[in-house]
Amino acid sequence: MKSYLLSIFLFIFLAGGPVYGSDSIAAPANTKASQAVAVADEVNEPAAETADTTADPFEEEYQNGEYADAITKEEKVEIADPLEPFNRAMFQFNDKLYFWMLKPVAQGYKEVVPEPARISVKNFFTNLGFPIRFLSCLLQADFSGAATEAGRFGVNTIWGIGGLMDPASSKELDLKMQDTDLGLTLASYGVGHGFYLVWPVFGPSSPRDTIDLAGKYFLNPLSYITPWYYPTGTKVVEVVNRTSLSIGDYESLKEAAIDPYVAMRDAYIQYRKKQIKRKNNKAGAAGVQLEQNLTKSGAN
Amino acid sequence: MKKRLAILSILMVFVLTVPVYAGIPLNTAQSAVNRVLEVLRDPKLKSPAAKEIKKEKLRVIYKDMFDEIEFSRRTLARNWNKFTPAQRAEFVNLFEQVLEKAYIDKILAYSNEKVNFYKETMISENQAEIQSRIITPSKEIPINYRMIRKGNQWKTYDVVVENVSLVQNYRTQFNDILASNTPEQLLEILRKKVKTH
Repeated sequence: MKSYLLSIFLFIFLAGGPVYGSDSIAAPANTKASQAVAVADEVNEPAAETADTTADPFEEEYQNGEYADAITKEEKVEIADPLEPFNRAMFQFNDKLYFWMLKPVAQGYKEVVPEPARISVKNFFTNLGFPIRFLSCLLQADFSGAATEAGRFGVNTIWGIGGLMDPASSKELDLKMQDTDLGLTLASYGVGHGFYLVWPVFGPSSPRDTIDLAGKYFLNPLSYITPWYYPTGTKVVEVVNRTSLSIGDYESLKEAAIDPYVAMRDAYIQYRKKQIKRKNNKAGAAGVQLEQNLTKSGAN
Repeated sequence: MKKRLAILSILMVFVLTVPVYAGIPLNTAQSAVNRVLEVLRDPKLKSPAAKEIKKEKLRVIYKDMFDEIEFSRRTLARNWNKFTPAQRAEFVNLFEQVLEKAYIDKILAYSNEKVNFYKETMISENQAEIQSRIITPSKEIPINYRMIRKGNQWKTYDVVVENVSLVQNYRTQFNDILASNTPEQLLEILRKKVKTH
């Protein structure tokens, strides 16, 4: 009889092994886990299934506080919005600006200029954004990023006909554009967003990202052309060109949203947060790499 | 006694046999998306008159691919408890219509862009994130599918486009609305939204 008890005990022990706790949801995604074998918990499974089949799903009471917490904890991304009335007004202004001016102009431009040409124009302006990306990489001590940017700028300016083409991104060279700016640089120093701020014309921002907007202006070579209306003119071309490549994006965001203002704010904040996270991961990975190299050279 | 123990051990081996899930979520998402692409590419359905047939076919795939209740529940999060069962049912239904109206034209406008599935990350034993990319001439759009295992099936409960989680985005909006409105008022807003377009 004792062996019975033992085996039952063993069974419970083995079957109960993997813990399906709420914290496993919040746990950071482990890349190695993709190859890891998921163990089916046969003890839990029938219970879960009966819950699915017997009870009407709408009748189910999700009073389980832990569950709700686990969902919301997954990623809580919020930003303070003390200037909401002002921001909403600016949002309305930008909305009208888009539908009454920018969109019709961009549509006309799209009719006249074929897509490959518009992509070239986009590449040209992206190439001119080099100084701010280069500087941001340097300020973040991301030297490989800075080197990549410098290489891209050289290659694309010389072989890409002044930046109209993007040969640096080709498979052979694989110099990818560094997705960074001064806002992310400040974030890497630990500067927070502050609060949400919508600028007329420029759109969603925050005090931190406003510094980036200013930096973009001062570090863009086009800003220094005289007479004064040339920079403005090129800026308009850039914006119209960019818009012509993404007509419909804003419309679908607005169409899908219950409250477009809140939807936009959330999209902006989520997007920035992910960029920062990716940057940190990259820095972390580089740090680990460096450490390994150091220990290796130490061992040698 | 020994014999019984042997039988029991054999039984245990059977019961505890480990099904391997690696790769299954990715394949599930990919095959669903491929089915969508098949419908969109179908030369027989090219005429504008066949639009409704296409929509109907896409709806079937959607139901297969998504767990609507999980989806709705996650967008409401804690607020889900404030809804009565009848209100929940209506919410799930209305929310689905809102999504369909918002995205169906985008999906139907598809013109042979390439879709690349390239990575699967297990978040936990029952959850996975699949990464994919839509490649257009001017840009690449990253789209991630978050999936959950329900019984033996993997269902999508969130889509992350350009790093923006749909569930999170709607959760913020619903939270904002429900902070000063009742569930009934939210349903009324959704009803209006579905009707006006």
